[in-house]
Amino acid sequence: MTDSEQHPYVEWIASEARRPVLMDSDARDRIMAAVRAEPVPAAVPAWRRFLQPRVFHMSPAASSLLAAGLVGIGVLTGVTMSNRGGHSAEPPREVAVLPSQPPVSDTLVKFVFVAPQAQNVSLVGDFNEWDLAKTPMTRSGQSGLWTVVLPLSAGRHLYAFVVDGSSWVQDPSAPIAPDDGFGHANSVKLVVRGSSS
Amino acid sequence: MTFAGRGWVIKQDMSDDAADVQRVLAGDVEAYAALVDRYYDRCARFAIRMLGNRDDAEDALQATFLRAYRALNRYQERDRFSAWLYRILVNQCRSVAARRAHRERVFVREEALLLNAPDRSPVWTGEDEEFVQRVLNELDPLLREAFLLKHIEEMSYEEMSALTGVGVSALKMRVKRACDRLRERWERIQHD
Repeated sequence: MTDSEQHPYVEWIASEARRPVLMDSDARDRIMAAVRAEPVPAAVPAWRRFLQPRVFHMSPAASSLLAAGLVGIGVLTGVTMSNRGGHSAEPPREVAVLPSQPPVSDTLVKFVFVAPQAQNVSLVGDFNEWDLAKTPMTRSGQSGLWTVVLPLSAGRHLYAFVVDGSSWVQDPSAPIAPDDGFGHANSVKLVVRGSSS
Repeated sequence: MTFAGRGWVIKQDMSDDAADVQRVLAGDVEAYAALVDRYYDRCARFAIRMLGNRDDAEDALQATFLRAYRALNRYQERDRFSAWLYRILVNQCRSVAARRAHRERVFVREEALLLNAPDRSPVWTGEDEEFVQRVLNELDPLLREAFLLKHIEEMSYEEMSALTGVGVSALKMRVKRACDRLRERWERIQHD
């Protein structure tokens, strides 16, 4: 907690804002009326749920133990293999040395947006955690043209422009991704490794 | 809904939510009313505080619950329904705010009357609501969003980060700046 967070005025504003609010008593009925007009969402079959990617959360201690366990298994396996007859069953194979791969974010991509009235424009996307502060765009003269160049990895990227810190705008020159169900239809940039755009 | 401490969701709700979602997916549309009832008030408070007026808040709420319904088959039981719904709500509020940016409603209320009031009534009055809403509206939308999630919805920074996709350190900075702005406002009033 900072000093400002504990300031009586700030605490008073917060406590007042925590009070319940009154809404139109029919508002919930209107929501349910709209819901009833929709088709019932189909359940996802169990086999598809099994194939969906998932994120596992693990504490640092648990992840350290897991890592140590995996290393231990690897060491024990190696010791066991090396003890069979004192040498490995197969002679060591030659390993081809491949040229090193280019870095992940190796393609410079230029984003251009026209907003003559804007005071500032930011580029947000999956490449910068949708953070307004990370990629501000630069205005070119008095033309209202805003640009930024940044390195991106090859693949499909979703992005949007944010005008004056609050208006999320799609790129009129780019394809639009289908709404993801979370309220945003974003623009799409396809980046091919090694090329620049 | 019951609460555990300052957290805003408990496990009982998770099982209730999961059961209701399964009923809806099995074809019982009316089961969705239970989810709406469970979360409407809290979502309404955030939407009003974020958007500043009831009309826009109702638009955001309608869109939120409708989008959640359409995407219900993508909701995964291992996630908290409340956090999933709230993520949709936060994005809907952003969208509504962006659409109506040019028609921002301005509250004209003499705040000195309220600030100099000797005793604060525990009853929520229209004047208080307008005043607090005006103060919140003065904050930059991103600062307001972070302040509301932290100090009104009482979420942890980790919950906020999962919800907004913004890093914890950036969110802490936004909350701090929001509180600094409020404090500066108070000090300006004191000097005037």
